[in-house]
Amino acid sequence: MAEQYGLRPLNVRPPLGEYIRDLMGRWSFIRVLATSTAYARNQTNYLGQLWAVLNPILNAAVYVLIFGILLGVTRDMGNSIAFIVVGVFTYRFIESSVTGGAKSISGKTQLLRSLHFPRAVMPISTVLSLLATLIPALAVMCVMVLLSGYIPGYQTMKVTWWWLLLPAAVVLLWIFNTGLAFMMARAVATTPDLDNIIGFVMRVVMYGSGVIFPLAGYIERMGVSDTVKGILGAVLEHQPVAVYLYLVRSCLTQEESIPQSGLMWALGAVWAVLFFVIGFVVFWRGEERYGRD
Amino acid sequence: MTEADAHMDFDLELEPDDLDEEAPEAPIGDPCLVVDDLHVVYRVVGSRARKEAEKGAEVREAQTKPSFVKRLVTASRQHTGGVSEVHAVRGISFTVRHGESVGIVGINGSGKSTLLRAIAGLMPPSSGSVHVSGEPSLLGVNAALMPQLTGERNIMIGGLALGLTPKQVEERFDEVVEFAGIGDFVYLPMRTYSSGMAARLRFAISSSASPDILMIDEALATGDAAFKARSKARIEDVRQNAGTVFLVSHSISTVEAMCTRVLWVHQGKLVMDGPTHEVAERYKDYVRSLRPVGRKGGKGGKGGGRAGGRNGKGARKVGVGGATGS
Repeated sequence: MAEQYGLRPLNVRPPLGEYIRDLMGRWSFIRVLATSTAYARNQTNYLGQLWAVLNPILNAAVYVLIFGILLGVTRDMGNSIAFIVVGVFTYRFIESSVTGGAKSISGKTQLLRSLHFPRAVMPISTVLSLLATLIPALAVMCVMVLLSGYIPGYQTMKVTWWWLLLPAAVVLLWIFNTGLAFMMARAVATTPDLDNIIGFVMRVVMYGSGVIFPLAGYIERMGVSDTVKGILGAVLEHQPVAVYLYLVRSCLTQEESIPQSGLMWALGAVWAVLFFVIGFVVFWRGEERYGRD
Repeated sequence: MTEADAHMDFDLELEPDDLDEEAPEAPIGDPCLVVDDLHVVYRVVGSRARKEAEKGAEVREAQTKPSFVKRLVTASRQHTGGVSEVHAVRGISFTVRHGESVGIVGINGSGKSTLLRAIAGLMPPSSGSVHVSGEPSLLGVNAALMPQLTGERNIMIGGLALGLTPKQVEERFDEVVEFAGIGDFVYLPMRTYSSGMAARLRFAISSSASPDILMIDEALATGDAAFKARSKARIEDVRQNAGTVFLVSHSISTVEAMCTRVLWVHQGKLVMDGPTHEVAERYKDYVRSLRPVGRKGGKGGKGGGRAGGRNGKGARKVGVGGATGS
């Protein structure tokens, strides 16, 4: 009888093409949801939106104090403050995309159970809202990098034409993060326990990607054969997080050990597209199951 | 359950002015919703069904464990890795035509809201199917709204969440504000609203999309008489445009006033399905039978519904048995 009157079944995953079209139609929802979430985040504080900028500054300051000044693990860098600041600001975007993406479905069960829309809206808008908070933070990051050059003993930083490539690096990172958020959203929606592990994994990734100190020296000193060192070094250097850190640093700083590299830009693009496409398909395949415990 | 759900759980009190009204007729058209042997099973992660509960069929443990487990292990298992299942809707079938307004009644925890969410396509069924024409819309936009932001901003978020374009939302903005009757409060954050104002704004936003199938989960409870009249008119609008309205309530008077047909759900099963006055009579008899002895003729459905929870299982079974018998 259902077919006779042209009724369609509910709760059936739409084909990929239709899903993408539906999703595109929801772009304004994604945008408004993202900016509203970003704005609502700091709305109940006295300093309000200023926290969007203050928070990453304080975060970076702690790492600079501990690793850059007290432990001095970045001594071989020309300007260790710039190195750490860029690393911390960039990595924060990745980390919060992973944790935010993980909660974008599992933490919004109520919303998913009351309204109908392509569920991919949630991870996309989560990362977009993080991007919205990142942009003012990036401006602060650039200022901090420049100012660090005036401290005696640190390499002077200049504004170069390469700075114009910063938006390109951020866009690649944004695409990559959205892909990551898709994967995390699906994983945590099916297995909520994973949410507890993410924090630890992200900390390991932070130290393993050279966010705060370069890894090259440590690999050199390991007691393993040269081939192993070579493989380990190459893997650590070309994994996505390290690539994006490299790209942002190569744009902003003039470290001799971080020259502009076409290979890294190509890798950055490849990782972004790969993670986004795989993440999207992985997420879409679970579409009809979100919102169910 | 979260805050968003909690406020939906108001009792619709018997309103004297509702009592003598009957829902007006609207032209009845082709089927627009077919539900076939629908089952919904919740998985509840993080809670283990207790042995006592397992005896009742509603809640039982998902995985069967070997029975020879040491007491210590059993005790600790209570808190780790528990997955329980709640069989909330068990095999419901019905067909609804364009222009019908259907009430779903039942006591607390009978599966009304789950059934509604399943036919709105928001809770995946574990078996059975739901076919619809058009886009069902559950009056549940509140989950998308953000209390820190202004009503103005929330109208935009809610409208977009319902699938409107930004332009459409702007066009309907004045209408929504007027319908909600909140005036200049629309420029203040929603957390500053009184619960009635917030509820009115939510109803106004979610009904602004004029959906093909409107589903309401006891949302009319908050609001004064004037607002109730306006919401009733809005529901009639939907029906006259060959849309269909679902109204979930455990108070029969609201359903009598708004609906032409009633589904009575009990423990996840359909007890009765028929014209409003027939089902309403049986349901009233049943609710009356749940009242504690010695307090005859309590005023309104609220007392009856609440008493049902406290009463023994015996009374409940007698009531349902009587109703199914007919």
